[in-house]
Amino acid sequence: MREAYIIEGRRSAIGKAKKGGFRNMRSDDLAVRIIKDLVASVPGFDPLMVDDVIVGCANPEGEQGLQIGRNISARALGKEVPGFVINRYCASGLEAIWLATAKIRSGMSECIIAGGAESMSLLPMTGYKMAPSYEAAMENVNYHVSMGATAEAVAKKWGISREEADGFSVRSHQLAAHAIETGKFTNQIVPIEVEEVFVRDNKRVTSKHIVAMDEGVRKDTTLEGLGRLPAVFKNGGIITAGNSSQTSDGAAFVIVMSDNMANKLGLKPKANLVSCAVAGVDPLYMGIGPCAAMPKALSQANLKLNDIDLIELNEAFAAQALAVIKEGGLNPDIVNVNGGAVALGHPLGCTGAKLSIQLFDEMKARGNKYGMVTACVGGGQGIAGIYEVF
Amino acid sequence: MSYRIKKVAVLGSGVMGSGIACHLANVGLEVLMLDMPTDGKDRNVIAQTALTTAIKSKPAPLYKKEFASRISVGNFDDDLSKLADQDWIIEVVVERLDIKKSLFERVEQYRKSGSLITSNTSGIPINLLAEGRSEDFRQHFCGTHFFNPARYMALLEVIPYAGVKQDVVDFFMHYGDVILGKKTVLCKDTPAFIANRIGFFSGNKINELTDILKLKISDVDKLTADPIGWPSTGSYRLLDLVGLDTSVKVTQGVIASCPDDEYVQHLKNVPTPKHTQFLLDNKWLGNKSGQGYYKKSDEKDENGRSIILQLNLETLEYEKSEKRMLDALGIAKKVEIMSKRMNDMIDASDESGQFIKEYFSGLLSYAGNRVPEISDTIYGIDDAMKAGYAWGYGPFEYWDLIGFEKGVEIIEACNNKLPNWVESMQKSGASTFYQYADGEKQYYDVVANQYKTIPVAPTVFHLDTVRSKVPVFKNSECIIHDMGDQVMCVEFVSKANAIGDGIGMGVLEALDKAENGDWRGIVIGNNAKNFSVGANLMAVGMLAMTGDFKSLETMVDGFQQINMKMRYANVPVVTATQGYVFGGGCEMLMHTDAAICSAESYIGLVEVGVGLIPGGGGTKEFALRASKSFFDGDTQIPTMINKLKAIATASVATSGHEAYDLGYLEHTRDRVVPGTHHVLGLAKNKVIELSQAYVAPVAQQATVMGRNALGTLYTAVNEFFLGRYMSEYDVEIAKKVAYVLCGGDLTSQQQVSEQYLLDIEREAFLQLLGNQKTQERIQYMLANNKPLRN
Repeated sequence: MREAYIIEGRRSAIGKAKKGGFRNMRSDDLAVRIIKDLVASVPGFDPLMVDDVIVGCANPEGEQGLQIGRNISARALGKEVPGFVINRYCASGLEAIWLATAKIRSGMSECIIAGGAESMSLLPMTGYKMAPSYEAAMENVNYHVSMGATAEAVAKKWGISREEADGFSVRSHQLAAHAIETGKFTNQIVPIEVEEVFVRDNKRVTSKHIVAMDEGVRKDTTLEGLGRLPAVFKNGGIITAGNSSQTSDGAAFVIVMSDNMANKLGLKPKANLVSCAVAGVDPLYMGIGPCAAMPKALSQANLKLNDIDLIELNEAFAAQALAVIKEGGLNPDIVNVNGGAVALGHPLGCTGAKLSIQLFDEMKARGNKYGMVTACVGGGQGIAGIYEVF
Repeated sequence: MSYRIKKVAVLGSGVMGSGIACHLANVGLEVLMLDMPTDGKDRNVIAQTALTTAIKSKPAPLYKKEFASRISVGNFDDDLSKLADQDWIIEVVVERLDIKKSLFERVEQYRKSGSLITSNTSGIPINLLAEGRSEDFRQHFCGTHFFNPARYMALLEVIPYAGVKQDVVDFFMHYGDVILGKKTVLCKDTPAFIANRIGFFSGNKINELTDILKLKISDVDKLTADPIGWPSTGSYRLLDLVGLDTSVKVTQGVIASCPDDEYVQHLKNVPTPKHTQFLLDNKWLGNKSGQGYYKKSDEKDENGRSIILQLNLETLEYEKSEKRMLDALGIAKKVEIMSKRMNDMIDASDESGQFIKEYFSGLLSYAGNRVPEISDTIYGIDDAMKAGYAWGYGPFEYWDLIGFEKGVEIIEACNNKLPNWVESMQKSGASTFYQYADGEKQYYDVVANQYKTIPVAPTVFHLDTVRSKVPVFKNSECIIHDMGDQVMCVEFVSKANAIGDGIGMGVLEALDKAENGDWRGIVIGNNAKNFSVGANLMAVGMLAMTGDFKSLETMVDGFQQINMKMRYANVPVVTATQGYVFGGGCEMLMHTDAAICSAESYIGLVEVGVGLIPGGGGTKEFALRASKSFFDGDTQIPTMINKLKAIATASVATSGHEAYDLGYLEHTRDRVVPGTHHVLGLAKNKVIELSQAYVAPVAQQATVMGRNALGTLYTAVNEFFLGRYMSEYDVEIAKKVAYVLCGGDLTSQQQVSEQYLLDIEREAFLQLLGNQKTQERIQYMLANNKPLRN
């Protein structure tokens, strides 16, 4: 069988939405810079070798509309290189890598750049016009519920307490802070210089800053501090701003290439997406989605859960991640060892690619073979992808 | 009793019927328009087609296309029962007594008692139409005669007859004036009523003089236009427009029904001119038959326009017109003051002088002798001619211009009949037909032999009534009047009311006086045809061409600051507009507290046409208005595109109502009213109303979108370019508009001050002025009075 290798991956630092370094940065502009850097990082790589660019994006409208994928490919690589956008909400970034892998393995493509880009600063969470179907609302109104409400439902059903959720959140911040301190993300992040133009005292002024590190981590987060935050989605609920993922801005992309092409160019593969699966669950319990997807991905790969050395489980909500660990029987020690979205942020469509890149570097450092990226997905889905890292 | 009108039926959907239906819809009525039924499934084809055609016609009969939804159609067979809940039924069917009478007979079976019913007949006696009808019908029946096109022609003749109740007549006199926005003139049930009766004389007299003096029709058309304050159309071109058959019909109608009329008696002895007969025989009736007194030739002139040929009245062949400098035309060019011009033209010794003298001699005599036959008052006749024929002056106003004695002299010199009452007037020592006293306009009342006040609605205000008072301030461009009730009015008096330093100084003076003195506030308005054509382009162009950018910067900054001072003044400032409200005029309007606009206000920021952007705060104002319209969850982009489009394509609203859609007017503060003659009075009332508890606005911040919208706007501009709707230079200008609207290339949405926006607006304005292409546009506009697309 033809193989599809991940040759290299790069990501932006993950900015805090609306207040961080990318608050005024469009995701297409950001993605262009990441891809340019990514391509330049591979010796002898000609941008025109790229057959396609797949951009995951959870809100492909407004600033991210007008075929954001195509706009990114043309600007980053040249007008001859096509591109498109896909959307499976929080799975989009991983889905893009999966699709690239499948196209290459099937022999229908040679080289694809895949990943995701999202600005949560510039777009409202539900898009500019939230308009669910009347019929859907009549059939099952719980098919469209806010993510926070699903987290509360999951917490209740799997018996996750406020203390557990807050505790998990503190862990996330601590591990993330440690990872940053020890430079675990430094090589994968492309520092971005941002120029801002604004008016001060009736005059146009400019300022520059560099965004080179994830912004959401708070090393000093304590259980007591988190405990003081109010529940935001439910009267008497447990989900707070402190134990939820952060809204973020970011972009992350990888180069996926056929084994033939990699050999020809003399490139060493970094990883390989062995298997990937999605599954549906009750939309009200969206957060439990990974538990339905993981067994499918394992079975495709002919692997057992304990063959997996490291797991990136997207922390949409601490309570949701805990429910997945509990229900899925995961070893908490290998889950999110460098912290998760509660601390590092969750730029929706970018997340799957970003977690993959983090996973590759950590597995390489640990000398692991198999790793998994998994996430719950809005609308009651889960995704799980199993990587082999070389 | 007072009548309330909500629903109105128009019977007949011809050009007049559908035009009237549209105008009634314009003022907000629910209109039912009926015509003859057609065979087949859809029986309303005639009325429906007429409505569709009317809506598409130019000039637009509706203030706004959407108002068409206020009109429904039907037919005389199936829908007469709907007349039962109509408050007013107006008949506009073919001009035949038998047809009208039989329709009224059918209408009577359905109409509710007490409902108003009128006929738009232009010639059939009202009393004949009322014959055979019930008492209730007869009491509520009269003539209401609109002129074509109903929206634009300002005259409404109200024609009572013996059977109508006085309150019905009073109602229509008021309703037509205040609600329909018309100059309502009280007529008598006499042939052709007022305007067409005088028009009958005027047209035939001109025709006669043309033949006698052997004038070319193009010469006559030049004489009977701007030189005497008439529309530029000219008599024969108007005849082609109206249709020769129509005008002959009116003439014959008057001849048949007015045996005692001295001009009718005279005409009986004048054979039909051979050219009239020639055209009638050939059915060359004017525009509708492709040719008449004029004919388009296949030849083109140097500008590529078809050469228009005129009929030689002697040879009856079409020929090219030659330029001839007649004395009267030369005088008209030189002499601005109308009374002197009229006298000089009358005294001119060539055939043009002869023409003017003979014509006005006849007109003054004929009109004079029609009082009290067709109108008890002289102003009724003057108003009818001004509003119905768009004359600059009515017969008696011309007489005042010429001078009382001189008028008498030319009447006698040309062997016309001096009206008896003029002789008594002469004896009484009165020497003018009108005078101003105590802030009111008075007319010489023929019956009472004394001056009386012309009654006007309380909202009508004309600045002529205060001209005798010493103005509060005056310079070459404006006059500040005391309107009474502690309200002042800044009247523009510059050429075309263009805004220059003088007006700027005047406004500052008014603000200073009002803020520091015993004034309630300020009206900015005038009674001219156009509120203002905008900034004085000549002054701006001269400075740009001499490269004096320092003076330009001072000038633009000055105008911006004047507008800002108006906005933040401690007294209310209200604009009153009609006609053109262009560029700087529109910018002033937007900076006042409120505007009262005639529906016939054509408002627009048109600076792009001369290679500029609105630089007196207009672009800033659009940015501010966009900002004020943003709401939580708003995508904002459509608003920004609309604002850009309005300015970048120099959009001019074709009515006050359209100006709301283009963003020049705001529903929350500005009001559009049908009657131009009411705007000053209403503006004065608005000042009084606002002054009751006036708090000056505090400085505002605008949320500007920066790059969040600028990318979209630049992309939109490119679309205009690709579609060839914009030249390369248009693109450059449009991008400057976009830049200012977005507050510049800011990386995020931000709140900025008005002054910041004014600064970048002024900078863009000055940059454009330094561009050769803008200077070419300005020169071209000054020379040709139309924009250059370079």
